[in-house]
Amino acid sequence: MTNREKLRDLLIDVFLLEDDEFDFSLTQEQIETWDSLGTVSMAVGLEEAFGHHMTPEQAVEVESIQGIIDYLTSCGVSFAD
Amino acid sequence: MRILDEKLVRGDITLLSQAWTDERSFCIRPARSGVDEAWLEAALASLPVEFGSAHFALLTSGSTGRPKLVVANKSRSERLARVLDEVQQSQGVEATVVTLPLSYCYALINQWLWAHVMQRKLIMTNGLKAMPQLADVFAEQSAASVCLVGAQVRLLADGLRGRQFPGVIRVHFAGGPFPQTALELVRDLFPNAAIYNNYGCTEAMPRLTLRHVDESEDPSIVGKPLPGISMRSGSAGEILFQSPYGAVGFVDEGAEYVAISESDWVPSGDLGECLPDGMWKIHGRQGQVFKRFGEKISLSQVKDAIAQCWDGEINFYREDDPSGEAGHVLVLQPEPSETQVRGVLKALRKAFPRTHWPLRVEGVSTLSLLPNGKIDAVRLAEESKKNIYWRQRL
Repeated sequence: MTNREKLRDLLIDVFLLEDDEFDFSLTQEQIETWDSLGTVSMAVGLEEAFGHHMTPEQAVEVESIQGIIDYLTSCGVSFAD
Repeated sequence: MRILDEKLVRGDITLLSQAWTDERSFCIRPARSGVDEAWLEAALASLPVEFGSAHFALLTSGSTGRPKLVVANKSRSERLARVLDEVQQSQGVEATVVTLPLSYCYALINQWLWAHVMQRKLIMTNGLKAMPQLADVFAEQSAASVCLVGAQVRLLADGLRGRQFPGVIRVHFAGGPFPQTALELVRDLFPNAAIYNNYGCTEAMPRLTLRHVDESEDPSIVGKPLPGISMRSGSAGEILFQSPYGAVGFVDEGAEYVAISESDWVPSGDLGECLPDGMWKIHGRQGQVFKRFGEKISLSQVKDAIAQCWDGEINFYREDDPSGEAGHVLVLQPEPSETQVRGVLKALRKAFPRTHWPLRVEGVSTLSLLPNGKIDAVRLAEESKKNIYWRQRL
């Protein structure tokens, strides 16, 4: 499984999205279930799946799926696959 | 107060008739109560001296595991048995088939005492543990009633698959949520039966309201109060009642006696409201309504949303999340498929904000039931953890 697929599956599970709803261009505003608890859930999920701990401040700053990719990339996770 | 062992009563039902007609009071000790003997002795010793005659006591621990000794007056309960005969239109019912333990207030009053007072036939069985025997008993009846708990319906339907019992003409449900989603199963088994949703609690000994199945499709609507009973909602939405048939007192876990007078407003343990037509709607057990991050969560409402897409059993147990905030765990039975879990989650997402979502979705192949047919909430939490289908990452 590629890192993109891993991230996609995680976010579908965390935000309870339908498969056909998901898109890597989605923003927090477009995902109604991305509320404050959703942010916590996302951060915990990212740590479980990719092994990188996101501080609460970092988690709140992320406002899109691309933002998550940028964060993970900065941690050394490759999305080139 | 003499102690009457349920095991002995099961072997010889006349012991119960003798104890009832005897002036002395008695207490039924359930076969598997798990109640400490010393606690029971202390509880009985704490009762007022006048309860030494004309009364009886039942031990209840419900699904909480906390013992409680509830004391009632024999003649008040006999009055209730007559009222039940009237409101349940039981005049044509010749016999009642007992599938629940008689230490359970519902079976004792609705069945044993009703049969005793109204001079009808009482048929004891070994309940759902002996399905072939139960099927034979049902098949032999021409005008019988049976009292069940909602959680038993699917077990009955599985155990008696393909059979029909036209001689069972009254089916009563109490002791838990009314099995609205399994009504077709009940109708298949008992095609001629009038089905009733009964509501009450042990302190009510045990009935407060009654509803015929056709009066509503909402399982949480339990009907109007029985004649003589008053009900109202307290300031927190809790259901309070006054009953001329109710318990006269109880001894709680701390072995301390609490008297109940006819003018006391007694909590039933549930939250609910009276609708404009006089019917009562139950919102859930008091512990099933709680606040999570400031949001009021009603597990009864959550259950209604899940029932739109899941026709198996829906249960919850309470658990705090890692931050110490109150939460709940959803337990489905039978074990769901991945698609079914996604369907349930989709229904939750559609109906509620994330605060209402369960901390986990768990599944069990069978539910552990208490001897009285209710779901064993303590074991529910222990057993269901084996199969986690989804969890909030917190």
